[in-house]
Amino acid sequence: MSPMNNPQDLNPSSLKSRFTTRFLRALTKINGQKPISSSSPREMFQRYRRIKVAADKSMAWSVRSRRTWSRAMLWKLRSRYSCRQASSSRRSSVRTSTIIKSRQAKTSHEKENKNTTTGQDEVGFVVQADKLRKLVPGGEAMDLCNLLGETAHYIKCLTTQVQVMRKIAHFYSL
Amino acid sequence: MENQFFLNAGIPLAAPPLQFGPSLSYSAPISAWQSLSSAMEIEATELNSSSPDRSQDCFLITNWEKSTDYGLQFDSALSSMVSSPAASNSNISNESFMIRELIGKLGSIGNSGEISPHSQPLLASYINGNNSTNTSCYSTPLNSPPKLNFPMMDSLIKEKLPSLGKSMGLNSSVAEFSADPGFAERAAKFSCFGSRSFNGRTSQFGLNNNTEIPAYRSNPLTANANLPRISSSPSLKAMGSQVGAVQGTNKNSPLQDRSELANSQDESTVCEQNPNVDPGFKASKDSYSRKRKAVPKAKTKETSAPASANAAKVSEPNEESNEKRCKSTESNGNENDFVKAEEEAKGSNRNAGDEKQNQTNNNNNTKPPEPSRDYIHVRARRGQATDSHSLAERVRREKISERMKLLQNLVPGCNKVTGKALMLDEIINYVQSLQRQVEFLSMRLASVNTRLDFNVDSLMSKDIFQPKTTLPLPIFPMDSSASAIFGHHPQQNPALHSNISNGTTTQGSMDPLETGICPNINSHLPSITQFTETIPQYPTFCEGDLQTIVQMGFGQNPSQEMALQSETFQGSNQVSHMKVEL
Repeated sequence: MSPMNNPQDLNPSSLKSRFTTRFLRALTKINGQKPISSSSPREMFQRYRRIKVAADKSMAWSVRSRRTWSRAMLWKLRSRYSCRQASSSRRSSVRTSTIIKSRQAKTSHEKENKNTTTGQDEVGFVVQADKLRKLVPGGEAMDLCNLLGETAHYIKCLTTQVQVMRKIAHFYSL
Repeated sequence: MENQFFLNAGIPLAAPPLQFGPSLSYSAPISAWQSLSSAMEIEATELNSSSPDRSQDCFLITNWEKSTDYGLQFDSALSSMVSSPAASNSNISNESFMIRELIGKLGSIGNSGEISPHSQPLLASYINGNNSTNTSCYSTPLNSPPKLNFPMMDSLIKEKLPSLGKSMGLNSSVAEFSADPGFAERAAKFSCFGSRSFNGRTSQFGLNNNTEIPAYRSNPLTANANLPRISSSPSLKAMGSQVGAVQGTNKNSPLQDRSELANSQDESTVCEQNPNVDPGFKASKDSYSRKRKAVPKAKTKETSAPASANAAKVSEPNEESNEKRCKSTESNGNENDFVKAEEEAKGSNRNAGDEKQNQTNNNNNTKPPEPSRDYIHVRARRGQATDSHSLAERVRREKISERMKLLQNLVPGCNKVTGKALMLDEIINYVQSLQRQVEFLSMRLASVNTRLDFNVDSLMSKDIFQPKTTLPLPIFPMDSSASAIFGHHPQQNPALHSNISNGTTTQGSMDPLETGICPNINSHLPSITQFTETIPQYPTFCEGDLQTIVQMGFGQNPSQEMALQSETFQGSNQVSHMKVEL
């Protein structure tokens, strides 16, 4: 949003450019999948969901596995995708349920660990730390120190995402 | 005089098999104590010979027996040591003398009358048990503490003796000492030199401690302070030089610890005068006492820098503990520490797992009342957890504060907020707003990209990346949408105008007015920007979406966007409809 971003944007390997390319590809894909003939709310909602997932996924892919939150987000998306894939076939319905349960168990277990660790952390802002953990993907298993670092990077990526999406929306809203 | 003392003390030290091996210089202060104690013993023996001078001293000593100024006792011991060079002849005799001195000190320091006969043999055997190998290191701490918690000492000794007896074995001197339970008392009485007597005896003993005594008098820890102080200047400095050489090699951890402690002592400037030396002696015992509660890191860094990891860890707590002690006036704790350090030293000498014992001893030292009985048992975990936790806690807090500052820069409007909790609230709100923005934008994209294909090349053009274009961009949609809005208005206004202006309305006149007004409105495109700012006045037209478009275009506060997002889904339909109309 500020002129300072220009030199970074023109860098083809910058986060913004990487995200933009991926996201645009995803958008074209989504648009190509279903012709947007009607603007029924349901279809719109589905597209909205897909675009949102595409945005998150492309952002996480731009960061690769360098960050815990990106890894967690990718894992979540993949598990969800695999669950959907599996649910489509009846045979693997059990597998999907197990996957979901295992994931839930894992998160709950992580939460338990986190709770035990937070007990040792600072007592002052445990509530806020918990909120932050819910917001940041993969934040449940992190201690406060790492959580803050991940939050900083996550905020940076989110702002980039918002910038790019906003510009795209503007560009195509004309 | 001090040098002389050291010379005297140093001679016998070379011979006795010190546990700590080659670094004799390091043991110099300890052996100084040894020689001192041995000299004291010799003096005691001489006293027993009941020379007239000595008898007078005895009287004086009895007067000072009950004095709490134990440091002076040490001064007297020192003087006696100096005056009796014969003490330095035999190593073992020195040690035995030192042991006797220990007994005497214990007897005198505790309660003059409380030395029970049973405890003295215990002490004697305890001390004699030290004779075998670890005498120097152990006995010196016993010599040093001005205020021994005698009951504790009893318990300690009782606990320690069996183990000592097993590992060390009693020398033949044990029988000699145990056979003379009253010797300790006499030695104690003899050693109880008061300041006055000492001053009076300055010439007699050839020691000029006048300058030192007053300084130490005020401090009940003078017992610790005096001799260490005397020894500090020459010995520790010598030690320091040697320590530097020693540190290079990975030696026995306690030895290294001591050396580092010596270095730290030299480097320590925080401690007061007396405590400056105290740590020196505490070094002897603290070298065994491992991690204490974290005190200033600077000291730990000083010592940890040149040392290996183990030594660093040990020196750190030692440093910290030393500094703690420097500033603390808890002599009891010191006494306990000394006693325990001695015990610890023995333990470390005995086992390879000194560290754990020391840590346990440290734990015990940090909690004086309880651990007196536990210091033998290994409880490394507890001490480690406590100390490393406190250290790690500090590091963690610093990291967290760093990250909070980073976040403060990222999150707008956080500069005014102070406090971690409020900052976290702000951060949480910002992250939530960003996530909602992403959702909203994706929804917009879902609704917007109806007709247009996403041309990657065109999008990757500068239009996307140059933020400058964002400002003029919204004008166009505003133009399109505004004209839709204005399209309704001109139809109304001309009618009004025509009605107002002309009493009679003719259709013919309407048209020119409309055409006149519309171009006027269109010509007022630049004013649209002003108008768009007042868009909220027309909620019926924009619902929430148009408003958000305007706001997004002008980069306004996203929170407003979020407020309108709830209507975006419906609003997007309207926008698309409006655009379709256009």
